[in-house]
Amino acid sequence: MSDYLHIQNIHKDFSGLKVLTGVEFKVTEKERHAVIGPNGAGKTTLLNIISGKFKPSSGAILFKGKDISGKPPNVLNHYGLARSFQITNVFQELSVFYNVLAGVRSHHGLRYNFFKMPDHDRNICEKVESILEDVGLVDVKDQPASSLSYGQQRALEIAITLSTDPELILLDEPTAGMTREETNQAIQMIDKVTAGHTLIIIEHDMEVVFSLANIISVLHYGTILVSDTPEKIRNDQRVKDAYLGEG
Amino acid sequence: MKQKIMPLITIIALFLLGIFMPVILKQYHLNMLTEIIIFALFAVSYNLLLGYAGLLSFGHAMFFGLSAFVTAIAIIHIPGLSLWNVILIGVGAAVIVGFIIGGLLLRHKGSYFALLTLAFNALFYAIATKWHSVTGGDDGLSITRPGLDLGFTSIPLDSLTNFYYLTLVIMGAAIVFCWYFTHTAMGKTVLLMRENEERMKFLGFNTNISRLILFTFTGALAGLAGVFYTLHFQFVSISAISPDMTTAVLLMVFVGGTKKFWGPLLGVFVYIILQNYLSNITDRWPLVIGVIFVLMVLYVPGGLSDVIMNVWQRFFEKKDNNGGKSATAEEV
Ligand SMILES: Nc1ncnc2c1ncn2[C@@H]1O[C@H](COP(=O)(O)OP(=O)(O)OP(=O)(O)O)[C@@H](O)[C@H]1O
Ligand SMILES: [Mg+2]
Repeated sequence: MSDYLHIQNIHKDFSGLKVLTGVEFKVTEKERHAVIGPNGAGKTTLLNIISGKFKPSSGAILFKGKDISGKPPNVLNHYGLARSFQITNVFQELSVFYNVLAGVRSHHGLRYNFFKMPDHDRNICEKVESILEDVGLVDVKDQPASSLSYGQQRALEIAITLSTDPELILLDEPTAGMTREETNQAIQMIDKVTAGHTLIIIEHDMEVVFSLANIISVLHYGTILVSDTPEKIRNDQRVKDAYLGEG
Repeated sequence: MKQKIMPLITIIALFLLGIFMPVILKQYHLNMLTEIIIFALFAVSYNLLLGYAGLLSFGHAMFFGLSAFVTAIAIIHIPGLSLWNVILIGVGAAVIVGFIIGGLLLRHKGSYFALLTLAFNALFYAIATKWHSVTGGDDGLSITRPGLDLGFTSIPLDSLTNFYYLTLVIMGAAIVFCWYFTHTAMGKTVLLMRENEERMKFLGFNTNISRLILFTFTGALAGLAGVFYTLHFQFVSISAISPDMTTAVLLMVFVGGTKKFWGPLLGVFVYIILQNYLSNITDRWPLVIGVIFVLMVLYVPGGLSDVIMNVWQRFFEKKDNNGGKSATAEEV
């Protein structure tokens, strides 16, 4: 029986700078897996490798038993992976509706079609509406993304991530820069929209991590220090020394 | 909804207007109008690259000129070739070359893309100049237009009026398809790639393939315009494939403006009329056009369509000034 996702001994150097030095952990299906670690620990780099933005220097990523490391992001998206970005990465000039439409139509196979107009397809439009409803952006769907508040832009970031109906969702600090209240709302929303999916979430906010995740991996100096349940992590001496103790 | 119906009404109105033109215009002007319609397709295809995809190509004339030459060569060397086959061969050549060169350029954007397209255009120009036995070199090639075979009947095209109507129908249909294209999945894909290519990859789009398809498609359209260029003048010379021709289409599009679909149409109209009148007055007309271009870049970088839109908005859309923002987002 192979694992759902197995990150296997991943190394990554950026021209000499060794950022990841043998990252190893497993994710089971439908798990909510948080990756925590101090600034610059390499969390985003790890996510970039899983999602196909970077090739690892060495190591493998087994997704349902198949090595997917080094595959381009568009192919990984077809396998059912989708990610959000730590720094909001949306289509600023487009309306909120068209931002989400892009991924929904991609998932429906309308990418390079010369004849069909995606915004005339009822199924596609309904799907866009339902995603916008889930993330709370229906009221602003005709506004350009650039006119949204910061919190709304972060919600749009997640909406776009959900738009291709992924089974494995990777979120990179979805609540970064939010106020306490915004964070709480965002977490409730994330909890709801990712139900039934496998989730890997990078997060700084400990409250968020402990409330959302079933398993937490601590990334420290380029390797996983420990990977365990929230209760065990909370009481782990190594984690306290290395990370939790600091802040 | 109004946003989408308006251009369609405009297109139909222009088309109806076009039908009456041979009655109204003298031969000289009908000749000029035919040229305008042919260049309109060339410019619209160029704007799909520049305005929609944000790709600055300095090699669009290689498709136009290649198809123009292939048309002349095919007519000269294959006796009895029907007009449909001439078009097929001419456009086919552009498709093949577009696919091959597009494949080589796939990964490049920005200034590398611009320089490489310029290099390929220069290469094609050099071949056309040197390969005298096939292309006629500096002398060019003369042809006579074949008639139009419709199966049940055949229409001679030696009269300008008949050829004008054929041009109006085929170029018109191609331009309307280009407009339609900008609303299709592929058209939107190209537009979104300009906006945020990285995100498109993460949404499952193969952006390299998209660029290749667009490059080939716009090359084929430029090729179709090139076929009609040769048929219209019944002559083709190396000027059709020279980098100057690329500059000309760039100027046309720029004068009209890249932001609106109809900008290049306006640009072609103004450019060709200006060129015709100026060249009657002075041999230095390229200089005058050059100065106009410089002034436009400095003072009206959005082109004439932008000026018209601003005036329009000032006079007719005074009342709603916050609805404007979402309209722009819809339209792109
Ligand atoms: N493309 C790159 N080229 C060179 N170095 C990089 C690159 N991406 C990341 N790094 C370096 O790798 C290290 C880890 O960066 P990364 O962004 O993965 O950290 P992080 O854990 O996500 O931090 P944060 O919590 O601040 O988001 C940093 O020292 C960073 O400068
Ligand atoms: Mg990060």
